Amino acid sequence: MTTPRYLIGVLVLASATPVLAQEPAAAGRIRVASGSAFIVRDGGSVPARQGQPVFQSDALQTGADGRIGVLLNDDTRLSIGPSSEVRLDRFAYAPASDNFAMVLQVVRGVAAYVSGRIAKLAPDAVRLETPAAIVGVRGTSLAIRVEPQ
Amino acid sequence: MTSPRSLAIASLAIGAVLAVACGPKRVAQPSRPGDELIVLLPDSDGTTGRARVTSPSGVVTLDAAREATRVSGSQPPSLPSPLSPGEVSRLFAEALSALPPEPRHFILNFRFESNELTEESRALMPEIVKTVKARSVHDVVVIGHTDTAGPAPRNIDLGLLRAAAVRNLLVESGLARTSIAVTSHGEVDLLIPTADEIPEPRNRRVEITVR
Repeated sequence: MTTPRYLIGVLVLASATPVLAQEPAAAGRIRVASGSAFIVRDGGSVPARQGQPVFQSDALQTGADGRIGVLLNDDTRLSIGPSSEVRLDRFAYAPASDNFAMVLQVVRGVAAYVSGRIAKLAPDAVRLETPAAIVGVRGTSLAIRVEPQ
Repeated sequence: MTSPRSLAIASLAIGAVLAVACGPKRVAQPSRPGDELIVLLPDSDGTTGRARVTSPSGVVTLDAAREATRVSGSQPPSLPSPLSPGEVSRLFAEALSALPPEPRHFILNFRFESNELTEESRALMPEIVKTVKARSVHDVVVIGHTDTAGPAPRNIDLGLLRAAAVRNLLVESGLARTSIAVTSHGEVDLLIPTADEIPEPRNRRVEITVR
């Protein structure tokens, strides 16, 4: 995408009401956060706290003493340990319209994943990515470790 | 005289020797910068799922508890081999300890074409309320489902009526309305798979997830 940011701003303003009405639904919530733990969103970062919503395209990031646990709307559980980063590239969970997507990117560090309902209803819609591999799942729990470069 | 068959066998044998000689590294080898370790863990119900790990140069399938593969540089993923519980804990304890508690599920059933709970299901309500109140941070998701009898769009509405009826019971039991999300999957998420237009009591249900 190369649309300049200011242009997106103009478009958003021009159609303010419908955009507000379609504000994206959260993909899940932070349930566990300790130490230095952040949500990276739209280029900025905010401290991750229990109860905070997580959206598609958010990244979760921890420092040397951080941990984060997230519960997504489809009951997928995801957590990261210290010095780690995962990105929720895509998330869609709308069974009534048969719309499912889950693309998780483990960028670095350690992560644990316990599949939820998307993996049950549409296993092919689930993809876990690392810098060097793609993992497809069939109803499962995984632990992934990506050593720093 | 060498038959094509013995040639094929010979080349297979050579291939096998080469695969052993220059084959994938053992999982247990010490990791290097950028190495990746992917481990399949058993699920909480005692079963183990399956994962397919694909890199640009190869594919492996993990299908046993704690089976692991290492992806290193441009080499194909290593042959799967199991880690011990101790190794899993040593490598992943910090991430695993941050996993949120497992959500709990309840299923309530309904009378045909109705948003009225069966007697058995009505009797489950106190335990559900107790489970919710026992969690410090909680939210409750109430999803209405139908069987495949009747048109799909109408079943979305019926599922929603069922879910709303359950929410009202939970609110009457003292739970905060704002902590309860209500939605309907209509007839697309059957508990018991059936063809279309099949009345099936077990599919006429509301699923409650306490998270």
